Amino acid sequence: MCNITKEQVYEAISTVIDPEVGFNLVEMGLIYDAIIEESCNIRVVMTLSTRGCPLHQMITQWVREAVERLEGVGVVEVDVVWEPAWNISMADDNVKAALGGGAAMW
Amino acid sequence: MFSISKDYAPPFEMIAPFFKIGAFFYLTGVIFLLFLDPGSSYSDMNIIGWTHWFLLGFIMMIIFGAMAQLVPVVVEVGHFSVDLYLVIWPLLMAGTVIMGTGFIFLPAALPYGGLLVLTAMIIFLYDTSMTLRRVEHISLTVKTVAVANLFLLSGIVTGFVMSLAIGEGIGVDVNKWLGVHAVLVLGGYVTLTIMGLSLILLPMFGLSHGFDETPINRAFKLMIAGVLGYFFSSLFGIGWGNILFLLVMFASVSFYLQQIIIIYKTRARKENDIWAKSMFFGYGSLSFALILGILWLFIDAQKLLLGSAWFLVMGFFTFLINGHLYKIIPFLVWFKRYSPLVGKERVPMLHEMYPKREAEYEFIFSAAGVAIAGMGILFGSATLFKAGVSFLIIGAGFMFYSVAWMINYGKNKE
Repeated sequence: MCNITKEQVYEAISTVIDPEVGFNLVEMGLIYDAIIEESCNIRVVMTLSTRGCPLHQMITQWVREAVERLEGVGVVEVDVVWEPAWNISMADDNVKAALGGGAAMW
Repeated sequence: MFSISKDYAPPFEMIAPFFKIGAFFYLTGVIFLLFLDPGSSYSDMNIIGWTHWFLLGFIMMIIFGAMAQLVPVVVEVGHFSVDLYLVIWPLLMAGTVIMGTGFIFLPAALPYGGLLVLTAMIIFLYDTSMTLRRVEHISLTVKTVAVANLFLLSGIVTGFVMSLAIGEGIGVDVNKWLGVHAVLVLGGYVTLTIMGLSLILLPMFGLSHGFDETPINRAFKLMIAGVLGYFFSSLFGIGWGNILFLLVMFASVSFYLQQIIIIYKTRARKENDIWAKSMFFGYGSLSFALILGILWLFIDAQKLLLGSAWFLVMGFFTFLINGHLYKIIPFLVWFKRYSPLVGKERVPMLHEMYPKREAEYEFIFSAAGVAIAGMGILFGSATLFKAGVSFLIIGAGFMFYSVAWMINYGKNKE
């Protein structure tokens, strides 16, 4: 029986910040799911804000490393999926407010 | 699933020279504008010399440096041999200096400068074409990159032949081929490349999603048709064909602008940072250049042609490039100096890695300079033109400082 909860996994991933926008991946709504097996192997299902993201490999590596820091964790896998495609409605309200904040020029 | 590994991303040391040298040619290029007469013909040797200095030394140098980073992002495979970029910038720099000064002081040197530029570009094209051969998913963007490279090859070969005509006196009608050379390089390569790259970069930085891509697909096809049509019209001496295919190219730019409006309307990120302001001014300039270009087809006035070219090169190309430098250089520096520290210590965000105040000054002075000098060209006022150029020089000084500031950010982390 594994004692790690989904909330703990999300909390660990929330330490990973996208350096371009300055928000963590969880509040950006990029983490779709965290599947925890009884053996404590964890599969994180996530997406990226853009398909051609030049940090793709590094971000998945940071997510894996963040989850691996949880005590008692088994093998961690990170799957990047493109369906459903990310859009701003998936982000937390504070992200939406910050990105859309300020007077738009046009 | 596609990802860019560290093997795909070129080493920072390899591409930093492109940006440093590009900023130098930009600064010197705008200083040299003080010595040009805005009433000159487009075929004046001083104008052509300056054009090559600016387009090769600044525009092409920065595009090549950016392509070293962006080709894998756009076509989703790694470079065939990224080490080739090590020889591109020295050849391009030397060739540009010889060509730029050759036009003005020593036409006999032109073939030598032209040969160096030709060699640099063939090396670039070799890497790009071999990289494209690895692509599995042939999207319209990939096809466009391939066609744009063919246009660049045709354009530089045409240019080299013309340099032989001017420098060595071989029997080629330079006036006839000048338009073809300009259309192949500016329309066929630079504009198509910017269209392709902006389709990737604008949604990436603006967080735009789910938008219709019909206009950009039309723009790609029309630009390719327009450039090919102009080439063959010139080859067979069909005057009305040239005008028709210029209109086709203008239609392409109109669809491109429509696409840009769609992307901006669907953007999630609405902050007006230096990048957004630069894009706004750049696309405004492109719209104005388009209007002047269409007017020139009906009112054959040299000022309209030069004005259109001015807003295209100094307003559109320059602001798109400079605006993206505030994104690309911090990313490259961050990737090299800070990505290994993620999770170990606090790392800066990308928006902290450019000098905000100097960047703002660069934008204000450069935008004012482009507008004032552009009016000088259109109204035939050398005084107004030089007043605008003075603003541009101050803006270029801030740009030069900003590029150095960004490249040196976090140097103590090495």
